Amino acid sequence: MSNGVVIFAHNNGDIDYASLSLIAAKLAKTHLNVPVSVITDKETFSSVDQKEFQNVFDKIIFTPPSTTNNTRNLYDGVESKKVKFLNDLRPSVWDLTPYDRTLLIDCDYLIMSNTLSNYWDNENELLISGKYNDITGDERVGYHDRYVSDTGVKLYWATTVMFTKNERTKLFFDLVEHIRNNYNDYGDLFRFSTKQYRNDISFSIAKHILDGYISADVDLPPVLSTIDKDMLHSVDNGKLTFLLTPQSNQNYVFASVTDLDVHVMNKKSILRNAKELV
Amino acid sequence: MNFGYLIVVAEHNEIEYAKLAYALALSIKNTQKQGYDKVALVIDNKDLLEDIESKWVFDHIIEWDQETFWDGRSWMDELTPFEHTVCLDVDMLFTRDYSHWIDYFIDNCELYVANKAYTYRGDIVTNDYYRKCFTANGLPNLYSFFTFFAKNSELATEFFKLGRSIIKNPKEYSNLFLSKYKPKVLGTDEAFSLAAKILDITDDIAYPMEFPRVVHMKGAVQNFPSPSPNVTDKVGFYLNTNGEIKIGNYQQTDIVHYTEKELLKDSDIRLLEEIAWKIN
Repeated sequence: MSNGVVIFAHNNGDIDYASLSLIAAKLAKTHLNVPVSVITDKETFSSVDQKEFQNVFDKIIFTPPSTTNNTRNLYDGVESKKVKFLNDLRPSVWDLTPYDRTLLIDCDYLIMSNTLSNYWDNENELLISGKYNDITGDERVGYHDRYVSDTGVKLYWATTVMFTKNERTKLFFDLVEHIRNNYNDYGDLFRFSTKQYRNDISFSIAKHILDGYISADVDLPPVLSTIDKDMLHSVDNGKLTFLLTPQSNQNYVFASVTDLDVHVMNKKSILRNAKELV
Repeated sequence: MNFGYLIVVAEHNEIEYAKLAYALALSIKNTQKQGYDKVALVIDNKDLLEDIESKWVFDHIIEWDQETFWDGRSWMDELTPFEHTVCLDVDMLFTRDYSHWIDYFIDNCELYVANKAYTYRGDIVTNDYYRKCFTANGLPNLYSFFTFFAKNSELATEFFKLGRSIIKNPKEYSNLFLSKYKPKVLGTDEAFSLAAKILDITDDIAYPMEFPRVVHMKGAVQNFPSPSPNVTDKVGFYLNTNGEIKIGNYQQTDIVHYTEKELLKDSDIRLLEEIAWKIN
């Protein structure tokens, strides 16, 4: 059985997702020792050092460009900008992955340990991270980081998803796609805000439905995260140091992590530290 | 094996407890294996059962009017017709077969009192909004809504005897043992918890187990960001023709303690009846 990592990379005109995917791929290969493939579009591919792409990625898989109008406000420290959020192609991973067992990660998820290697042989055919761990502790974890809505189902984090390619996981990704295509209807049923399409929500609801409308507790490890208002300040020999956004009436504080996988939502700060990271 | 569920109700001006007992008994008949589905009803006035169509769901109907309201439950050890009993709160519904757990209780316990509850989303209730008295006074967190006991157990007899004494003398016991936060009403939960503490038997009668799993539908313990007295102010309660219950987006597979006494409509009871009639 083949194991491998898959990353989506579609540049949106503001963020260089191609370069982010290269960083994430190099780290994943180093720490998990498995091949990594990228799903991208021709336009994004035309903007990269194609030789490096071909060297790093096991397979480069092309899809038509995203057609979504989804947007979001993305911060880089205190500065923010409304940017395109091209996240609608995720359900196609089941069809496109070249692996029997796939770890799907966001391209801002920096794998700095071999923790996820423990899940390749896990008996569960679909595993998603079930918890958001903020780098500062519980203080910044909001209600809607734990549930899709005030009364709704548990929120899973599609930042890390591991699945075995079979008919049952096909059903899961088909359902994710169905929820994406009928997002407002599911918003009515599951009481979540539909202002912005989120894979986390579609994945959570699909999992909840296929688990039999109950909460099943077998998950990937929590996603340790830094928000986009935080900044990856420096990288030194595997130690990541962040400048954490000030809480009420406080100054910025530094925090460092070593040997832990981190979801760094401030994408531009990853790019600023590209050389040191890889 | 001589096992059964015991339900104790009394006449009330506003709430039709007999009807709630009927719904619970129907749900037991609809979900439990034969031999594990016996129900005894203790009621202060048998006339209250007049409108009930299928009285056969009560294997025993015991008329008893020595206590009013919920105080009757503290006499469960003397009232039960069974060798092994689970006494339940009346505002509950069963959703699946739990007979394997009854086997466990019969083989291993003289007395076992529920010591946790769950939200409709399957989280363990940790909020003590309704249980300040327990927290402040260091009482064990017992719930009388599911109490298993063996009839000839000395431990159970001593426990229930003290429980009755506490309920009969709330001021004295509150002054002595609950001075840090006196409950407005010293109910069965407080009495059982205090009895367990005084007798120092909590570890024997309320050790951690995966059962009973009871979904407590009181609004303030559901971990809503803005609490509401009633869960159904926030989410729907759905009973389908198979007797399955969904609350909001969650299928319920545990015992549902719905607490809102007006929640069940006649049409819901009709649904439960129709299932029972098909099975029996």
